[in-house]
Amino acid sequence: MHDHLYDGDLLVILRHGPHGSSWLKEGLDAALVAAAFGRHVSLLFMGEGVMALMAGQQAGPLGQKGTAATLDMLEMYDIETLLVDEQGLSLFDLSCDELMLEVTCVSSAELARVLSGHRLVLTF
Amino acid sequence: MLLHVVNRSPATSRTYQQALAGMSADDRLLLIEDGVQGALPQLVRHYAGLEGRLFALKEDLASRGLLGRCDASVQVIDVDGFVELTEEADRTVSWY
Repeated sequence: MHDHLYDGDLLVILRHGPHGSSWLKEGLDAALVAAAFGRHVSLLFMGEGVMALMAGQQAGPLGQKGTAATLDMLEMYDIETLLVDEQGLSLFDLSCDELMLEVTCVSSAELARVLSGHRLVLTF
Repeated sequence: MLLHVVNRSPATSRTYQQALAGMSADDRLLLIEDGVQGALPQLVRHYAGLEGRLFALKEDLASRGLLGRCDASVQVIDVDGFVELTEEADRTVSWY
């Protein structure tokens, strides 16, 4: 794993799936705002949060937009450090390469270093 | 050193597992609100390995009638102690 995964201005930890609540959307909004102000932002999808990365997401039954479109914009905001908790993936029997974005898998042993390496950590 | 704060009970939520996964070897863990249930002898096993780094908030224990029922390995602190822990840590991370 490269060193740049272990440092940054802000680490946003996303621990909720899309549609069920607004936690995921709010976490992504916080990340986009920080990035718009020139901060170096990393995202960590943890636990249920890996559901945010499923391919083929759609609008909800009442037309709710969801978060997949926001994820597609991350690159435009220079948010390129996308980390996924390995345990979260195994919880749903998913692998990194079937997700909608290119991500870096983080083992449990590496998680603590990711957290301590960022100047600010926000959990959503 | 980071201070991790957990407000969910290990009896009903897996949040504590995420906190543990994010902790470095010298990080501290503070249990607040429903999280203080984890300080009971029956549940404290979830925090094995944190001896000396595991804290529970006195006010939240008292309001739940759990003061005096904590496992001996848990350090009970009041809100002033919470402030001190916050001062000693580089940053705090909340898990909820």
